[in-house]
Amino acid sequence: MDASDRELMGRLARGDREALAPLMERHSRRVHRIALAYLRNVDDALDVVQDTFVKAFEHAARWNADSAVGPWLAKIAVNQSIDRYRREKRRRASFEPLAEGDHYETLSTEEPSPEARAAGSETSLRIAAALRGLPERQRAVFVLRHYEEHSLEEIAGILDMRLGTVKSSLHRAIHEMRRRLEGLRA
Amino acid sequence: MSFRSLLHERWRTQVSLLAADCLEASEREGALRHLDSCAECRGDYQAALAMLETLAADPARDAELPVPMAFLVTRVEARVEALTQSRPFRWGTLAVGLAVALVVVPWVVPRVVPPVVERVTRLVGAPVAVEPVAMDDAALRRVERTVAREQAVRYLSEAQDVLMTVASTPHACPLKDRHVDLSEESRRSRELVARRALLVALDDDSVASARLVLEDVDHVLREVATLDPCVNPEEVVRVQQQMEEGRLLMKIRLMSRELVG
Repeated sequence: MDASDRELMGRLARGDREALAPLMERHSRRVHRIALAYLRNVDDALDVVQDTFVKAFEHAARWNADSAVGPWLAKIAVNQSIDRYRREKRRRASFEPLAEGDHYETLSTEEPSPEARAAGSETSLRIAAALRGLPERQRAVFVLRHYEEHSLEEIAGILDMRLGTVKSSLHRAIHEMRRRLEGLRA
Repeated sequence: MSFRSLLHERWRTQVSLLAADCLEASEREGALRHLDSCAECRGDYQAALAMLETLAADPARDAELPVPMAFLVTRVEARVEALTQSRPFRWGTLAVGLAVALVVVPWVVPRVVPPVVERVTRLVGAPVAVEPVAMDDAALRRVERTVAREQAVRYLSEAQDVLMTVASTPHACPLKDRHVDLSEESRRSRELVARRALLVALDDDSVASARLVLEDVDHVLREVATLDPCVNPEEVVRVQQQMEEGRLLMKIRLMSRELVG
């Protein structure tokens, strides 16, 4: 019989590396989808998957055995995605000096490269640009709801936010996505 | 903001949450009733639904991992292993140790060392030349085996790193359209092939069980080493298939574990 998430986390907390493979088998696709939806970059998303499970191994002892593993991993994945996004933003900013307040917009509306254009559909590229245009936490709320279908309560737990803040963030994100994707049809 | 517009803003939030299917039954009924009486919110609701429908076509929703799970597990295990082997350096402990040493050593050495030297000289007479410790054959053999295994593990680990990049999705080559950039992997493969020839220890009997895997790795590395820096993706796919058919990355992983013991 397959070991439960709880058993696997217990083994990880005791430093048993063999528990990583079954845990990754079970959760890495979901972690990958979160990271990909957030970062919109295949390589970065793959790095986030690795970072997430390395962190899970490091901090397994801190996992609360009364809670589910999925949301705990989602929380790590979101934090890792935000960190990576910030690093990338800083890196770009250091190469492309911009006027104050322009960094964010530049990242959100940048033109895709010819390779990216060839590889991705127009829909995908427009969605990517629209998502990148959302503030970090709003984007996380939106991704967790619309890509992973977490409930608002779960999202509040994952992001350490109040339920009311999650609701208003989701509303603003939907409003902004609507504006940015206007005219685009699936 | 007037009370009326505040109230309307609250309804707009509820309408977004309705479109996102996040309302409980009672809230849902209330929001639907509001839609019947508010044309602006009806428009918002329809627009939000259309946007979410568009979003359903986003390929990222159903994205699969771009590399096989075994590759990913191997990489994470390697990072975790490196993590558990490295001990965090404690600057605080070092600082305290140095401070203690600075105080204690100047006080202790002049009082302790001369009497000890005097006693030892009295006991043994003249200083004696120390003979090098002779290592018996068995001990020497054990050392050789350990070295051979360590070299094999290190070699496999570096080869694994190169081959995993080849097996995943290489970056597009900036110099040639529709080609991928494998210049770094090709260079590292050449280095590894050259180094393999110099590693006598890898032919040692103690790594005999790894010999077949080492030969397979060597073979694929030679293939990668001969690729152009900007290579046609078809060529990469050919190497990937070769690795996949031989289950090379899995073999490297298992063999590394066996060698580490």
